[in-house]
Amino acid sequence: MAESRVLVLDADEERAQSLRSLLQFIDYAPVVQDRCGHLAASGAKPADWVAVIVGKVLDESALNGFVDWLKRDHLHPPLLVLSEQLGNAAARFDLHESACINLDFPLKYAQLNELLKRAGLTRMEREVLDTVASKGPTGNSSAVRRVRRMVEQVASFDTTVLITGESGTGKEVVARAIHAQSRRKDKPFVAVNCGAIPSELLESELFGHEKGAFTGAITARKGRFELADGGTLFLDEIGDMSLPMQVKILRALQERSFERVGGMKSQRCDVRVIAATHRNLEDAIVKGSFREDLYYRLNVFPIETPPMRERLEDLPLLIEDIIGQLERASRGSVRLSPETVNVLRAYHWPGNVRELSNLVERLAVLHPGATVRPQDLPSRYKPAGFEATEPLAETSIEQAFERSERPILSEMRVMDLLGQSKPDPVLPPAGVDLKDHIEHIEASLIKQALAQSGGVVAHAAKLLNTRRTTLVEKLRKYGLQREDAETSCANEA
Amino acid sequence: MSPEKMTFRTLLIDDNEAFLTLAMHLLKANPRLEIVGRGYTGFDAVRMSEALKPDLILMDLSMPGMGGLQATRLIKAQDAPPIIFIASHHNDAEHREHSARAGADGFLSKQDFDTTIDALLNEINTEMAHG
Repeated sequence: MAESRVLVLDADEERAQSLRSLLQFIDYAPVVQDRCGHLAASGAKPADWVAVIVGKVLDESALNGFVDWLKRDHLHPPLLVLSEQLGNAAARFDLHESACINLDFPLKYAQLNELLKRAGLTRMEREVLDTVASKGPTGNSSAVRRVRRMVEQVASFDTTVLITGESGTGKEVVARAIHAQSRRKDKPFVAVNCGAIPSELLESELFGHEKGAFTGAITARKGRFELADGGTLFLDEIGDMSLPMQVKILRALQERSFERVGGMKSQRCDVRVIAATHRNLEDAIVKGSFREDLYYRLNVFPIETPPMRERLEDLPLLIEDIIGQLERASRGSVRLSPETVNVLRAYHWPGNVRELSNLVERLAVLHPGATVRPQDLPSRYKPAGFEATEPLAETSIEQAFERSERPILSEMRVMDLLGQSKPDPVLPPAGVDLKDHIEHIEASLIKQALAQSGGVVAHAAKLLNTRRTTLVEKLRKYGLQREDAETSCANEA
Repeated sequence: MSPEKMTFRTLLIDDNEAFLTLAMHLLKANPRLEIVGRGYTGFDAVRMSEALKPDLILMDLSMPGMGGLQATRLIKAQDAPPIIFIASHHNDAEHREHSARAGADGFLSKQDFDTTIDALLNEINTEMAHG
């Protein structure tokens, strides 16, 4: 989840307003609160915010409880501490120093911008790790068994590996498996997608730069070669690399050394390089877009990842694996009926395993917890002439998403949709905190009403059969207030 | 119709109303783009992509609830998915890589998206023409 909301806890009203303006200016959605005691019970989740900025605190014990609640989520946002009131906040809250950082005051735009950017990237990285298997490609087909055998053969040597195969066939999964089975497994695995980075940025990204090397290089920075020191560097989509960059990579591979951009000093690098591409590099050599010498330097041990259409017998295991990853990452769950799996076997899978993964994630969001039948699939996956019987009722995307995260509420809503009576809530054996529980339900319903009404408070109030002013108060209470909701409210008043 | 003259029915998705207003204003001058809708979250993107069948989505990366990366993955699994460009305030290699990994077709910086979108559309057209 790439989140834009930043929680600001600051009882210093003037500073909180300045922070709100600054955060909006740098494209974040601030949620400003002067206290935090109620947040844990409001239906909020730690992952709702990309970072939490802590200023003046009125109730330190409530803050301690709030931080304890945050820490229960391993993806919790970092605390950016503005106030000296808390002393050494990292030690006080028993947080790693990367998860609790003191901000300079007066605020520095560059520092805040950089910390928020890092917070967002850290979350995206963790989500990737949650979903990429390091144990290697899934399946028992002969094509996959062959790939696994090759991984085992090459992993323990420092041989350069070139992985080829169509897009979406899992080249990074193979690269990670080689790393995980190598003697470098406890050192970094650093991936770089050469095709996604503009050529003018790629050199500094790979080799780093010295301070002042170019406009914007305000500090020295390590490149991916340095970050991967002792470990494995995965150069994905190397076939998209420009010819001048190919020369520089070739030199780094031959001499095992490089210079940072703007630097004079050569640095030794101890990295194992694994390269990958979906392009046919031999064709590219003929066309003059890929250097032959680099090709032979990389192609020491070639591995080709098979397309899905050549390993359709792996489909059930792959589906099971993808659902397991979604469940472990709390991104929903779904089941596919045997008939659905059979229908998918007849599809040609141009996007390979990535396409399958996207499809399963979509089904898990649209039909959370359900068993998907062939008629519930997007039409391109159904054979020609397939006549659908009644498809599964597809709840709205917001409802489906909410449902996957909050099963008790969602069941009530599904019953509502079907026009049936609401089931009686079940008291867990350990009991509940009634006030917290009711507040959780209230906040959740308000969120849904706001989503359904496009953030217009007056419309949301109608859906909840409550006065607009009452709803505005509740939005404040739960920290749900949004600028656009306020604007809509003002416009309609 | 040559790719340069093709009109892209475009959906704008961003939780920042001010950015949406600015983008509508700047992009309506581009004859290759016809803005067919705007939404505020990844949920809107998935729902509107199915309903409106746009050719192109300009999608914010960070949004509450469902961000642009997850929405991109889900949209790419619909029938005849549109081209998706991720637009972000943070224009650096790592954000570009995450966008590519999610299956986005391109990345634009919010600082200059209105002037760079044409070049990106031309790149996509060239790639499509070469299979």
